[in-house]
Amino acid sequence: MPRTLYDLAYGRAGDKGNIANISVIARTPEAYQDLKAHLTVERVKAHLGDLAPGRVLRYELDNIEALNFVLYDALDGGATRSLRIDALGKGLTGALLCMEWD
Amino acid sequence: MTYRIGSAQGFYGDDVTKALPMITGGHVDVVCFEALSELTLAILQKDRLANPARGYTFDLSIIARQILPESFKRKIPLITNGGGLNPVAAAEMVRETAAKLGLSGVKIAAITGDDLLARLPELQAAGEALSNMDTGERLANASNQQFVTANVYLGAAPIAEALQAGADMIITGRVADPCLYLAPLIAHYGWSWEDWDKLASGIVAGHLLECTGQVVGGNSLAALHALAPTDLPYLAYPIAEVEASGTFVITKTPNTPGLVSLETVKEQLLYEVHDPANYLTPDVTANFTTLHLEAAGENRVRVSGVTGKLRPEKLKVNIARMEGYMRELIFAVGYPEAWLKVEWLKAMIAESWRDLPIQRLSYSYLGMNSLFGSLSELPADPLEVVVRVMFTASDQDTLKTATRRVMSNGLSCPPGMSVSGSTIGSDPRAIVGLWPALVGRDKITPEISYLTI
Repeated sequence: MPRTLYDLAYGRAGDKGNIANISVIARTPEAYQDLKAHLTVERVKAHLGDLAPGRVLRYELDNIEALNFVLYDALDGGATRSLRIDALGKGLTGALLCMEWD
Repeated sequence: MTYRIGSAQGFYGDDVTKALPMITGGHVDVVCFEALSELTLAILQKDRLANPARGYTFDLSIIARQILPESFKRKIPLITNGGGLNPVAAAEMVRETAAKLGLSGVKIAAITGDDLLARLPELQAAGEALSNMDTGERLANASNQQFVTANVYLGAAPIAEALQAGADMIITGRVADPCLYLAPLIAHYGWSWEDWDKLASGIVAGHLLECTGQVVGGNSLAALHALAPTDLPYLAYPIAEVEASGTFVITKTPNTPGLVSLETVKEQLLYEVHDPANYLTPDVTANFTTLHLEAAGENRVRVSGVTGKLRPEKLKVNIARMEGYMRELIFAVGYPEAWLKVEWLKAMIAESWRDLPIQRLSYSYLGMNSLFGSLSELPADPLEVVVRVMFTASDQDTLKTATRRVMSNGLSCPPGMSVSGSTIGSDPRAIVGLWPALVGRDKITPEISYLTI
């Protein structure tokens, strides 16, 4: 089995209107340095494909060894309009954490 | 001595009775109940339209009947935004319930001033553009539109004032969630409204508490291997023990299942957060990037070093508008040639609906691509495919006609297809569009009214 982001990190996704956020919290200090250096906005956007159709922003929290990704236009109009079964985007954490990582 | 805040509700429908062991066990000095998601007020508006004396959450009657007698006896105030669109009627209901239970001397505060629905034209005329914060679009003439609700997020001040006036229960409408929890700290410690670091500490405590189960192992990847699944219905709800300096410990009701760890705290800290260095609330802009987390014993995490700065100039308003209705149908097809049957189903539906004003139509395959979209690779020749069809229209009748037409093809359908019975019988669901905007502070005046028994 190839290593995935889940081996390095856990996290939680949340919604606010049509904007989703996914936290990626490192399991170890080494993993955080790896993520900080290599889990770029470009890489996240390329991996998520049509789950991240809009702007993606990345914030760094060195104090808790975590990254926070904010995904615009990612919730099919927002929880109240979305036609997706996961209208709140709660499963987006998994969509990101299944990324293969070497 | 610390001041201890219990959190016993994170959404409309949460198990508010989890406040009881906190109160009777002597573990808290105040309990907060956060009941309003972005969508909840639109749900409550339906109730209010049917009955002008409603528009508050049903959970409030449980709080009044089961929790208030215990909290009042111990002088533990209760704070809730479950008043929704009608805090005054909610307070009246609580007063009646308390009177029936034989309580006397109870002081109930209702806080209003957040409901701007009737004021939108006036606010526009006074120069408030109410442009959409996400898209920048300007709000069209409000007097010509069918808005469902329009509520501004109030801050902690009126709640703190009511607490200082001796209220035993405080019922509000829309208040920024973490401000519900900041308010009792201000009332208790007398923090200055410009002591940004302390205010921000209270906000972080509130943010960690406001989703109840989510900081004690609920919805937690970190707890997936740390808790037993049978613990979930009994999860303890969280408590913050806050020092006068603002430093606090997050813990939970003792002797109940759950987990408070560095991991569960980190997960909740970033939940629904955008820029962690600028977490905007009506009372302070909090910075989550300076704080320090530290394990402080079993199920105890200490949070220190939170910093804050000047609060935003304007207040946030959420305006809700009816945008139509949606409907779901679920079909299952199987081997052989499952994908061909799916194509038949789609074509049959398209043909049946050709003359109907369906606005949006979306297909997904449950268990195959419904969660992760294009990340999922579809199998070439599956044994089964569960097809979820979602469709919308501006009116309910179109959706009912659409459903009837598809169902009338029951014996003229792709071979071996089945339909989920519960989706056939369900009603169209309203689509409520949210419009987040900003409004000047000078336009908003919260009011407090008191009822006593």
